[in-house]
Amino acid sequence: MVDPVLSLRDLDVRFNSDGHQLRVVNGVGFDLMAGQTLGLVGESGCGKSVTSLAIMRLLASPPAEIAGGEVIFENRDLLKLSKREMREMRGGRMGMIFQEPMTSLNPVYTCGSQIIESLRRHSGLTGKAARERAIELLDTVRLPSPEKRVDDYPHQLSGGQRQRVMIALALANDPTVLIADEPTTALDVTIQAQILDLLRDLQERTGTAVLLITHDLGVVAETCQAVVVMYAGTVVERGEVGAIFADPQHPYTVGLMAAVPRMDALQGRLTAIPGSVPPPWERVVGCRFAPRCPLADDRCRNERPTLREIAPGHEIACWKAPIEGVSATGGQS
Amino acid sequence: MTATGTEGGDQAILPEAPAPARRRAWWRALLRDRAAAPAMLLLAAIVLAAILAPWIAPHDPSANSRAVMQPPAWTERGTWEYLLGTDSQGRDILSRVLYGTRLTLLIGLVAVGIGGIVGSALGLLSAMYRRIDPWIMRLNDMMLSFPAILLGLALVAVAGTGVLPVIVALGIASIPDCARIARSIGIGVMGQEYIEAGRAVGLSDLAIFRRYLLRNSISSIMIFLSLRFGQIILIGAALSFLGLGAQAPASELGMMAAQGRDTLLFAPHIATIPSVVIFVIVLCANITGDALRDVLDPRLQT
Repeated sequence: MVDPVLSLRDLDVRFNSDGHQLRVVNGVGFDLMAGQTLGLVGESGCGKSVTSLAIMRLLASPPAEIAGGEVIFENRDLLKLSKREMREMRGGRMGMIFQEPMTSLNPVYTCGSQIIESLRRHSGLTGKAARERAIELLDTVRLPSPEKRVDDYPHQLSGGQRQRVMIALALANDPTVLIADEPTTALDVTIQAQILDLLRDLQERTGTAVLLITHDLGVVAETCQAVVVMYAGTVVERGEVGAIFADPQHPYTVGLMAAVPRMDALQGRLTAIPGSVPPPWERVVGCRFAPRCPLADDRCRNERPTLREIAPGHEIACWKAPIEGVSATGGQS
Repeated sequence: MTATGTEGGDQAILPEAPAPARRRAWWRALLRDRAAAPAMLLLAAIVLAAILAPWIAPHDPSANSRAVMQPPAWTERGTWEYLLGTDSQGRDILSRVLYGTRLTLLIGLVAVGIGGIVGSALGLLSAMYRRIDPWIMRLNDMMLSFPAILLGLALVAVAGTGVLPVIVALGIASIPDCARIARSIGIGVMGQEYIEAGRAVGLSDLAIFRRYLLRNSISSIMIFLSLRFGQIILIGAALSFLGLGAQAPASELGMMAAQGRDTLLFAPHIATIPSVVIFVIVLCANITGDALRDVLDPRLQT
């Protein structure tokens, strides 16, 4: 087994608003292995983006506060680094791609100069060398005629092209870890496929570990080797992609999969999970999914389940696991 | 992922020209603008004339003559000796306008400069560091509730009459407005995803401030300042009218307009001519500011 390049241990993130403490992320932990793509999955508001921003220490504080846990990267706890050391990490050892390519690039500078800025900052490249490297990077992300595009302003590019520039920018200094926060959500389907292809291809070439944040299980199945399923700020299930897709164990994961349209079930309605994510200010004693769970009983409502291993490399936080007879297509008839 | 071996080829493709070409392009675009080009040329001419006043003024601006309240040359009683006529003390209006424009522009530019730089800095810092925002803004509200004219009076009481206290008063009075505008523009910019992306690239606060916040706010702030420039000239004129600001032998456009008020009925040119010059300067400044924004903001280019 390869060593993890990025390990989260019991990460707690709270938002302080008007004297209330909102526990947005509770004890989240996972390992990202070298050269691996890990999918962080969950519905809107489950804390996946907050987790990714917490790793990069990009949460505005106040209101956000990282209340506990560790983020181990290259044998160091990122949460203990000084601001300056953290800045060296960002864009240098760790790259990040955002959801909205239309607004993630500084509109007043050319694409090239933004890449050059990062190169100068982290790799010490200047002048012609930096420019050539920028063109090379744009070529790597398959931007057509990069030697012309390097002088284009972001508004002159399409959404897909801008996302390519963002990827070039994130990969500029050969980072060990790339965090992609819903990189394809804002793009149309054909471009999505191209960007995912590109990410996969780049990863094979550079060996960068990718943390892919998404709510799209299709994207996970296509690109990831491991999955972490989050629900209401906690990890409910984690393991290898194959294991989880073949045999999802947490009722929430099962529900998520049943909610995805499938080619082999052309008839019937898609199953929705009843209810919605409990708001972070709600005090939940037991399992956070219990109110929406078809299997929940008194124990689920009163005791919080913790992650336990039910098969090698497959962990789940549910009292009912392992469950039998509930498959991914179980909800469809 | 190395560039070895392709160096020679890359150099051939590398377009080194674009940067200067773009720099040339923006003023070309400015000259193509039908409203901006004449406004800018006129403004440039006025500024040039003001700078060259000591050399091109036909008379001593403060020398009295017997030709009192002479109308401009193109009217029935006008003479070519006094192209724009004379005022109630027989001083050549053209010369006084040339010198007055100097002072008026100086007051406007320096005051806008003070207000713009200090106000933008405060406003943008407020937008960036939300912790200090309430403090800066409460201070700002205090300044905002203090009328510019009163501040001018107070400063004059302390420092004595003159142009400098007026400039300082107008500059200080412009700070809170500008800070408010800069803050709201800055908050909008700080909410953009590219700020987060910039941080994710590992940029320092200084770089974020300069290259992201300031650069993306400046065009909107400039519009405000170009409008404010006109207002300041008018308030400066009002202060001169009250007897603060420029003092007697010196000329200032607002002061000239105020002096012409007494003879408005039978010698209207005395008040009208400096007023028209103020009007033209303010109008040209506004049009130019607008056009500059259009041209300098890459988002508005196609």
